[in-house]
Amino acid sequence: MQTSLFTKPRDLFLDVVNAKDYVQIDSVSVMYQYLKNAVEKPLKMILLYGKPGTGKSMLLHKLHYDLSKHQKVHMIPIPIVDEEDFLRVLAQNIFGHAPREKMTLNRFLEIAEALSFANVPIVLLDEAQLYSASLMEKIRLISDARAVKFVITLHKTDNEDIVAKEHFQTRIWESIELKNATSDELKIYVQKKLLKANCFDVANMFNEKNMKLITALTRGNYRETNKLLFALFSLYCWHEENNPGAIRYNAIKPKWIEMAAIHTGLIHA
Amino acid sequence: MLNVKDLERRWFRYKLKSYIPYILGSTLALSVVIGAVSFFLLPGHTKSAEISKTAPEQNVSVVRQNNRPDAQENPTVLEPSMEFIQSFQTDLQDQETQRVPAPKAASSSSARGVLEALAPSGAAPAAPAAQPAAPQSKKIDESLSIKRNESQFDIAELLQRFKETSNANLGLFIARYYYDREEYVEAYNYALKTNAINNRIDESWIIFSKSLAKLGKTEQAKKTLRIYLQQSNSETAKGLLESLEKGTFK
Repeated sequence: MQTSLFTKPRDLFLDVVNAKDYVQIDSVSVMYQYLKNAVEKPLKMILLYGKPGTGKSMLLHKLHYDLSKHQKVHMIPIPIVDEEDFLRVLAQNIFGHAPREKMTLNRFLEIAEALSFANVPIVLLDEAQLYSASLMEKIRLISDARAVKFVITLHKTDNEDIVAKEHFQTRIWESIELKNATSDELKIYVQKKLLKANCFDVANMFNEKNMKLITALTRGNYRETNKLLFALFSLYCWHEENNPGAIRYNAIKPKWIEMAAIHTGLIHA
Repeated sequence: MLNVKDLERRWFRYKLKSYIPYILGSTLALSVVIGAVSFFLLPGHTKSAEISKTAPEQNVSVVRQNNRPDAQENPTVLEPSMEFIQSFQTDLQDQETQRVPAPKAASSSSARGVLEALAPSGAAPAAPAAQPAAPQSKKIDESLSIKRNESQFDIAELLQRFKETSNANLGLFIARYYYDREEYVEAYNYALKTNAINNRIDESWIIFSKSLAKLGKTEQAKKTLRIYLQQSNSETAKGLLESLEKGTFK
């Protein structure tokens, strides 16, 4: 079966989080190194926050992938909102033991004390803004008891100062804020992703103008960029099949970027 | 699934919408200009001035009384005077004549001459001013070097892959990478390698010639472009050759 030139690039930008798809960009790798160093410090909590689509989940997955090679680490990518379930899952995955009777915070701390590890186990919590205040308080108590070290990711909204939240006040924590990418960073991100998959010819099609337009439309948000490029390459696939004469192989058409932006809702038309 | 036809339609509507403010703005500006021109220059304005003379003088006099009590004595005060436009023109001419010698006075050679003349007295205070700036520039260099190292590491990976695969597109990517970073020797080398693998990539020839020109080998760059144009009809190559011949290439 003959495959299209743009099928592979399109599938590269499917919006899924996979540690193996991690793309090293200067600013992100500096953040990642900072995060790794923070994990090695005797801190109880590490807070990773930023606006949606800034790469928090990807960084957390990458951290999990790297740490799990030589350390006890567990990741909860989807929040477990029920408190008992949360403690049970944690006990089972960290200590390999979850009692049949009702699981309480005290019971969890007893197990942790009985099975104390030389290295404090690490738990990575994604989307922690979905946890209730009461569960966050329990997480804080667990980290205070040094039973578990938590790395938490939170969404940051314009109206909310996360660090000012009750759970994070007077705690020993390190906070790392992730920001949206600049045009240059986004260009590196897109090209590295394409080059990693040997899509050299498609990587060559992106010029400065294209990247500035993409950055303006997505505001440097990685998730939006993935969505936009998925739609863009879908357009290319369509044209390759139905109207190949319209494709310019030396540059990406700004019109098609805008059409992809309309399709993904970045432009309201 | 994409509905391309519908997207095309929506894109057209979006483009039209995005141009509306510009169209309205330019129409408004144009109408203001036309209005102003017709008011000041067309013979009709004298008529309107005459009409205004015969028009309700009471109202005019009220205004006049408020502003200038002595204006009542001069009924022709409403006629527009063109003197101020003439004064603008003469002012502009004066400014232009003044501007012409200005760059000469500020030109580097004469400025250097002045600096040299002032050197014994001016050199002493200049030195301490330069000293505090040094640590700052060092800091900037350090922060930049972190980025550079990472980029170097990345390009090393690509160079290795190019060695292994000899992919012309990757070669072009590397040549472009070096050209963008003003490393023209490397850009030249990789464009040359890319041409050797595939001599039909237009951009590779362009980067090759541009790098040559940047390295000061303009004649060789022109020669290369002429050879390339014998086998290709590239408009970009033609444009580049023209700019090299005229000496406008930057």
